[in-house]
Amino acid sequence: MLLCQTTPLNELNLWALGGTGLVAGFLGSMLGVGGGPIIVPVLTLALGLPIHVAIGSSLVAIVANSCTAAGIYTQARLTNVKLGLLLETTTTPGAIVGGFIAAVIAPSILSALFGLILIYTAYTMITRRYILNENVLPKDNSAKTDKAANDLPSSLTTSYHDQNLGKVVTYKVNHLPQGLGASFFAGILSSLLGIGGGIIKVPVMSLVMGVPMKAAIATSTFMIAITTTVGALIYYYHGYIYPIIIAPLVIGAVIGARLGAELAQRARGVLLRRIFGTFLFLVALLMFIRTANVV
Amino acid sequence: MERRNFKESRLNNWVSLIFRLGIAISLALVVIGLIILVVLSGTKDIQPLFRLDQIPAAIVISIGILILLLTPILPVLISVVTFWTERNKLYLGISTTVLFFLILSLILALT
Repeated sequence: MLLCQTTPLNELNLWALGGTGLVAGFLGSMLGVGGGPIIVPVLTLALGLPIHVAIGSSLVAIVANSCTAAGIYTQARLTNVKLGLLLETTTTPGAIVGGFIAAVIAPSILSALFGLILIYTAYTMITRRYILNENVLPKDNSAKTDKAANDLPSSLTTSYHDQNLGKVVTYKVNHLPQGLGASFFAGILSSLLGIGGGIIKVPVMSLVMGVPMKAAIATSTFMIAITTTVGALIYYYHGYIYPIIIAPLVIGAVIGARLGAELAQRARGVLLRRIFGTFLFLVALLMFIRTANVV
Repeated sequence: MERRNFKESRLNNWVSLIFRLGIAISLALVVIGLIILVVLSGTKDIQPLFRLDQIPAAIVISIGILILLLTPILPVLISVVTFWTERNKLYLGISTTVLFFLILSLILALT
């Protein structure tokens, strides 16, 4: 068991932890991201927890957040389970490779590079619909489903009921090789930078593969739940998970995730895209600040 | 197409049920553990590290956390079983690959 000097928790701290989980859960489920950039700084700066304990706590909260949202989104048929599983085949090995690369590349350099990528992605999400637009799709990216749907791309065609539009949206998934390649890269970056994959996965699905924003967010939460749980189990095994700290975080994250998921289903896809783009700008700023502090 | 939609719905139903059930059970245990903590230890000067009076609460919460962390793995297992019963070789291979990498990640990290 790790011993450390920490701020004693009292009732106010328990509420603060719960509030942190609530905000992270709300934003995370609404945008398809983990919420780590919110939780870790609060735990390290406000509560003085060691970084490993903070990261371990954050990972558990992310699992709670993403599982809650995934349950809601899958029930609403927003999650493309097959697409999520397919992208995980490259994301997970990318994360393994990233773990090995981390030993030879300075995190500060990566943070700066990643910040630039995020700026470009944020701009694209706010101003453009797609990056790869060789196959320009109808406004709602709908497509007639093929009779013989045995090939891989056709098998990913699916539909969901959009509460905001009030109609069923059917879409097909494009540019699979590019999407799989980008997911592998996303896995590497996630491992190297210690971030959740959502801020990469959602833009990849939305901008490159043509998945509607709501479906991209829903599928991302499904993927985050799977990949984050591995990291959290590792921290659990090494004794970095403190139940007393986790409890209010998880409760807040679950409540926040429910609220965020319900709101996302009712919101316009374009609005979600712009909120996401703004969020990416803020994360990019954090990346540059982190780089500046190191340099 | 309708048959495919039915199969997809069935998988979605199972995945959704597992996530919701897992969250419900783990959250219940976490809340119960927190209540035990407040009742036994009060709300002042709660230490993150274990004290004797915190052990019962910590045990209950820990079990809840473990159930939470195992929840996301079950949908992958369910997917493997579902695609196997449907004789869908493509997605059986995909879901099995994901399960393999999950287990590999764990083994690499724990050794």
